[in-house]
Amino acid sequence: MSFNLRLGIIIVSIVLFLIIFVILKKEKIPVKYSLVWFFSSLLILLVGLIPNLLSSFSKMLGFITMSNMVIGIFIFILLLITVSLTVIVSSQKKKITLLIQEISLLKEKVNKNDK
Amino acid sequence: MKILLIIPAYNEEANILNTYNTIMEYNKKNKTNYDAIVINDGSIDNTKEILKKNKIPHINLINNLGIGGAVQTGYKYAFENDYDVAVQYDGDGQHDVRYVKDLVANLEKGYDMVIGSRFIEEKSDFKSTKMRRVGINIISFFIKLFTGKKIYDTTSGFRACNRNLIEKFSISYPTEYPEPISTVEALKMNYKVSEVAVEMNERQAGKSSIHSWKNIYYMINVILSILVVGTRRYK
Repeated sequence: MSFNLRLGIIIVSIVLFLIIFVILKKEKIPVKYSLVWFFSSLLILLVGLIPNLLSSFSKMLGFITMSNMVIGIFIFILLLITVSLTVIVSSQKKKITLLIQEISLLKEKVNKNDK
Repeated sequence: MKILLIIPAYNEEANILNTYNTIMEYNKKNKTNYDAIVINDGSIDNTKEILKKNKIPHINLINNLGIGGAVQTGYKYAFENDYDVAVQYDGDGQHDVRYVKDLVANLEKGYDMVIGSRFIEEKSDFKSTKMRRVGINIISFFIKLFTGKKIYDTTSGFRACNRNLIEKFSISYPTEYPEPISTVEALKMNYKVSEVAVEMNERQAGKSSIHSWKNIYYMINVILSILVVGTRRYK
């Protein structure tokens, strides 16, 4: 791995870390959802710092080229994140449905009492 | 016995007044005492104004929930107001109020849910399209497979429930594909379900919520849902 590439990887990981940190500080996401992103930025940092880590790992797993492994792992992680987001969205949809129903029932009751 | 007709309505300005008046006229003629509540599912036409102007009992959902969420609101209302029987009744004039007494009579025989069915006797002229009947039969097959009970008119929205199921549905009701899935849930939870022959009319005006190009997608989803609910264990 060339020095420029390693430098790039390290910068990317630091930028990702900072973005997540700022988002977290502004309370746009809760801590529990930020962990997975902090963890990924740490992984990227490790790759930049220890260049042999990736190549020996991909050889061990039987990938022909290192880039295949990197892309494969990232797709898998993104897939997991998407699934968990679907779960979160669905549970929120349920809660919103409940809210709409209860508020609408309440409104009807209030209107009746006013008359 | 307190009986409530739950009428979900989404953009039914052309039909809703007629539907409500038919029920009230029937009440007068037959000395029945059916109450009706229209659940206005966030309509964007004049449904809301018509309901208000004609003093039709109704609940305006503050946002669109879809048929399942709207009907569940009706069950919540029925539960809170101590109704013994809740009947789901379409706002578009498809259902015939004369058959409500048949549904209720079957509940009194000890059933928990009674479905108004187009297919168990050759009563109704309107049977819906061929394609739709094929779909209904496929759903029927899967319900039989997973619950052991043959339900003929699986997508009929004309059904009556007793107090036990009103309570169950007010707590949880399927929001996706509610007609077949609520039936499967009730069967899996050992509620007694039966079917009664009814006639249905074609829609009087407006457009049905089921479009043909969505049919295959609908079928896949319904079958998958039946599979999921069917393999669930309820205590």
